[in-house]
Amino acid sequence: MDAPAVEARRLTKTYGHGSGAVRALDDVSLSLARGTVAALLGPSGSGKSTLVKALGFVSPAEHGEVRFGGRVVVRDGVALADLAALRRRHLGFVFQKANLTTFLDARENVELACELSGKRDGRRRARELLAYLEVSHRERSYPETLSGGEQQRVAIARALANEPSLVLADEPTAALDGARSRVVMELFRRVAHERGAAVLIVTHDHRALDVFDVLYEMEDGQLRPATSPPHPPSRSSP
Amino acid sequence: MNLALRDVRRHLARFLGTAAGLGLLLTVVIAMQGIYAGMVDDATLLTRAMQADFWVVQRDTRGPFAEASRVDPSLEARAAAVPGVRAARPYTYQLIQRDHRGRVLRIALVGLGWPDDPGTSLPLVQGRRLQQPHGEMIADTSLGIPLGETLTLAGEAYRVVGLTRNALTSGGDSVAFLTVADTQLVALEQPPEALRLERERVLERLRRTDLGRGQPGLEDLAADPRWRAPALASPPHAAVLVQAGPESRAAVREVLAGWGDVTVYTQAEEEALLLGGVVQRARMQIGLFTVILTLTAGVIVTMVIYNLSLEKTHDLAVLKLMGAPSARLLGLVLQQSWLLGALGYAAAWALGEAVFPLFPRRVLLTPTLTWLAPLVTFGVVTVASVLGLRHVLRVDPARALEG
Ligand SMILES: Nc1ncnc2c1ncn2[C@@H]1O[C@H](COP(=O)(O)OP(=O)(O)OP(=O)(O)O)[C@@H](O)[C@H]1O
Ligand SMILES: [Mg+2]
Repeated sequence: MDAPAVEARRLTKTYGHGSGAVRALDDVSLSLARGTVAALLGPSGSGKSTLVKALGFVSPAEHGEVRFGGRVVVRDGVALADLAALRRRHLGFVFQKANLTTFLDARENVELACELSGKRDGRRRARELLAYLEVSHRERSYPETLSGGEQQRVAIARALANEPSLVLADEPTAALDGARSRVVMELFRRVAHERGAAVLIVTHDHRALDVFDVLYEMEDGQLRPATSPPHPPSRSSP
Repeated sequence: MNLALRDVRRHLARFLGTAAGLGLLLTVVIAMQGIYAGMVDDATLLTRAMQADFWVVQRDTRGPFAEASRVDPSLEARAAAVPGVRAARPYTYQLIQRDHRGRVLRIALVGLGWPDDPGTSLPLVQGRRLQQPHGEMIADTSLGIPLGETLTLAGEAYRVVGLTRNALTSGGDSVAFLTVADTQLVALEQPPEALRLERERVLERLRRTDLGRGQPGLEDLAADPRWRAPALASPPHAAVLVQAGPESRAAVREVLAGWGDVTVYTQAEEEALLLGGVVQRARMQIGLFTVILTLTAGVIVTMVIYNLSLEKTHDLAVLKLMGAPSARLLGLVLQQSWLLGALGYAAAWALGEAVFPLFPRRVLLTPTLTWLAPLVTFGVVTVASVLGLRHVLRVDPARALEG
């Protein structure tokens, strides 16, 4: 891969005005190559979700630019392309809670994402993805009847439906226990390595950091690479 | 993949319940419009059935339906003599209320100009027209008197020889048709005591005149109970119906309008009078109810659709985050509105088919109503989805990321 999947340059974002203003992103630059899985660490309120929203073309930063596949897509808060179309075709999202569409069953959730991205043969693809994530047996179940882990697998299947070049995950394992959260993290690693996507995962879970190719840490809106786990992995399981 | 149907599937009971409620409201709206149409039709049926070109009524009245009208019996012959007039028939109209077999019957008696008109233009559903100048009647089915049964009016028996359907006045009263002479017998009905007093009065007068004193035999005649005092003039008619050839209509009208004792209305004017005077208030009332009910239906659909989209806020945010085009999400809401409207309308129609025939007043589903009602329903549910649509547009995809 020549150009990185996504590249952010000097992103700045401030919430609020005057004395109450919070600088959620402070001159953040970042480049994610395809086929790598990166962790985004940092204390609560440090700006991790804000960065995910900026990279995911959901809430653009006020200053700086985001390049996607080498092309400038957002500059100083102004969209230079159809952001919804971009998300639909090239991005996959996974959140803390699975956030599946409640009125669709597991297969339909994935199928809809295939359909939105313009992929043919959505049902077959959906089945394949659910099999890939080992939740085939629940494909006709509604989200509310799935366990947290199953929901998260379906959500990952959905995020992969459009063969994304960038997958953004905001605390995808927060609702899972240690063993399951490790399984999910390893799934993301497979996605990056086998499917060639750039994967950025916000996590507080320091037990599975060995899964990642790159580690970043945020503090007060500033991003810096973390070469080793910034905090010693905690041995005490919840 | 149709999102609207899949969402409905998840809320099926609530959705069907709302559709049923909407259906009930629409049933009432359709019923009111149908009753109104039936009323207009009934009101004009009577005049239409008479097939007159002109209604000649008492001068400066709006008779004979909107108000009473009396014209001199000579009018019939005078009108018939006008050049260009093909036929002139007397017409009477009066409301009576009688007991019959333990039931109270309200009957609008309409006089037919026998022998010219034995009920030729009446839409008979059973039986025949009048064949005798006296003792026969054509009654509306709604009176509930079967063919062949007799009804006693003013001491005389009238046999029902023919039945009509939907011959009702604008007030909803059933009509019975007799010859003009018979209706006048009914109109002049006097109780025995009144007759006795009248005979006394005639005797008194005879005794005071030279004629009475010179011809004592007259006194016996006047005292005979079988004899009736001659009326000073024959009783008035309500109107005279005139038929004229199309070529002479204008001329005939001009002549008739020149007479000092009458006012002339064309068939269309007579119908307008009837609708204007009698049906106007009902029209306004029903119109107002229709508007209120339509608004109610609109508000209910608005709230239901808005609620459905509020409940889906998070789903909508996620779908937006996934890049679902707005049109797709707006379509989801609109299609649900339309589906609700279609189901409600179907329910209303089915219910109407079942219950309208049981209504005391005729519910006439005119062709206009048949195409207008679904269109209006469609319009109402479309407008009612505006709040829901606005909500869809306002949902911020960033909300999907906030758990
Ligand atoms: N919509 C908003 N309006 C105002 N301030 C906001 C908004 N979103 C975030 N912030 C502020 O911006 C800062 C960064 O928020 P962000 O959600 O990016 O943190 P985070 O690193 O994701 O935290 P956490 O680990 O708790 O999820 C915080 O101080 C937060 O209060
Ligand atoms: Mg966060």
